[in-house]
Amino acid sequence: MIFQKSTPKNLPEEEMLSDTPIESGQADEVETVVGPSVNVEGDFASEGNIIVKGTVSGSVHTSRFLSVEPGAKIMANVRAGNAKISGEVKGNLKIRETIELTSTAKVLGDIEVKVLSVEPGALLFGKISMPGIEGAEVRSVKPRSVRRSEEIAEISQ
Amino acid sequence: MYVYLYDNFLRQKKYDSVIKAIEVRLTDYGIAGKILRLNNFIDPKQVIDDEIKRGAKTVVIVGNDATFGHVLSRAATCDCTFGFLPVGSNNTIGRVLGIPEGLSACDVLSKRRKERLDIGWMNNRYFVSQLHVLPARLKVVYDERFAVTTNEKMEVVVCNLQPFYWKKDKKDESNQVVHPQDGKLEAFLRPLTKQGWWGYKYEDPSIFPFEEMEIISDSPFTVEADGKASKELKVKIKLAHGKIDMVVGRNRKF
Repeated sequence: MIFQKSTPKNLPEEEMLSDTPIESGQADEVETVVGPSVNVEGDFASEGNIIVKGTVSGSVHTSRFLSVEPGAKIMANVRAGNAKISGEVKGNLKIRETIELTSTAKVLGDIEVKVLSVEPGALLFGKISMPGIEGAEVRSVKPRSVRRSEEIAEISQ
Repeated sequence: MYVYLYDNFLRQKKYDSVIKAIEVRLTDYGIAGKILRLNNFIDPKQVIDDEIKRGAKTVVIVGNDATFGHVLSRAATCDCTFGFLPVGSNNTIGRVLGIPEGLSACDVLSKRRKERLDIGWMNNRYFVSQLHVLPARLKVVYDERFAVTTNEKMEVVVCNLQPFYWKKDKKDESNQVVHPQDGKLEAFLRPLTKQGWWGYKYEDPSIFPFEEMEIISDSPFTVEADGKASKELKVKIKLAHGKIDMVVGRNRKF
């Protein structure tokens, strides 16, 4: 019978306190947190900030801040308002404002962002595109055949 | 008109003096009313519906967390205002609602400060405060969009009214506060990882705000909703659209 103990034995007491006083100003600040040793599969979307410490596969979407902590793994396409990457991301990132890659970051995928900051030591494999360069925008918008016909027209003139 | 629902345990002699004092205070305030005694075989919804037909406007639950859960798990949708007088041990919901224990709860009730509170729905009953799934091998599906799993057992706590705090140690000061009127429920998942031969260790919790979730397992797991435990294989939890009118205190924690 000793060997059939299934309930947790060495749980610290008073770990869950349900009557601690509430600190004002923290209300409505509940974020989505994917803790370590938790696997999330599917379309993971949230309206608030997301902190990832575990593994996520599928897709990740938030209009606000995404933080990928060291040791975390995301195997998904990511869309977010702002992001700080310290873990591993396999997939394309589409960030509306700012992305920060810290020294422990590992990104395999394309990044589309307005402001990019990369710390020395960060690993990145993929294409980076940023809005603001006019030529690049024109080139990306027009197909190659159209550009070619325009060039021929210029030469003939 | 007021109706008072007394829990069965209040028949014990040690509560006589408190109950007498409460009844005197309620009479002083002019809010005394009909007294009904509950037991496990009485369906509170039926009783409350009958009393509403007879003209009751306010139903006051007298007892502890278990009484509160027992009454509101069925009667949350009744068209009346609810009050709560916490008496006896195991009273945590009263504190969240800002209602002190014992005699001074009558003062809060007489002031009639009303709030509309969200309620959660689990399988076929309501829960007001908190739902707790004890550690088991679980799969949690959120809003039918993504699933959360762990390698070992995990514990789930769904908070509506009662805030959930966790601390790794005494130095840890990070508190998550859950607002009961934000239109969402919050689920805290704490995976357990094996430590050594016998023991388990809690990992940092994951937090997911949600509107609908499903907890599935291969073997039955224990669910405690508002202090009432049951064994389930599949639990569907969502935010019920109905809300309850509740008399609360000034020191409420939301």
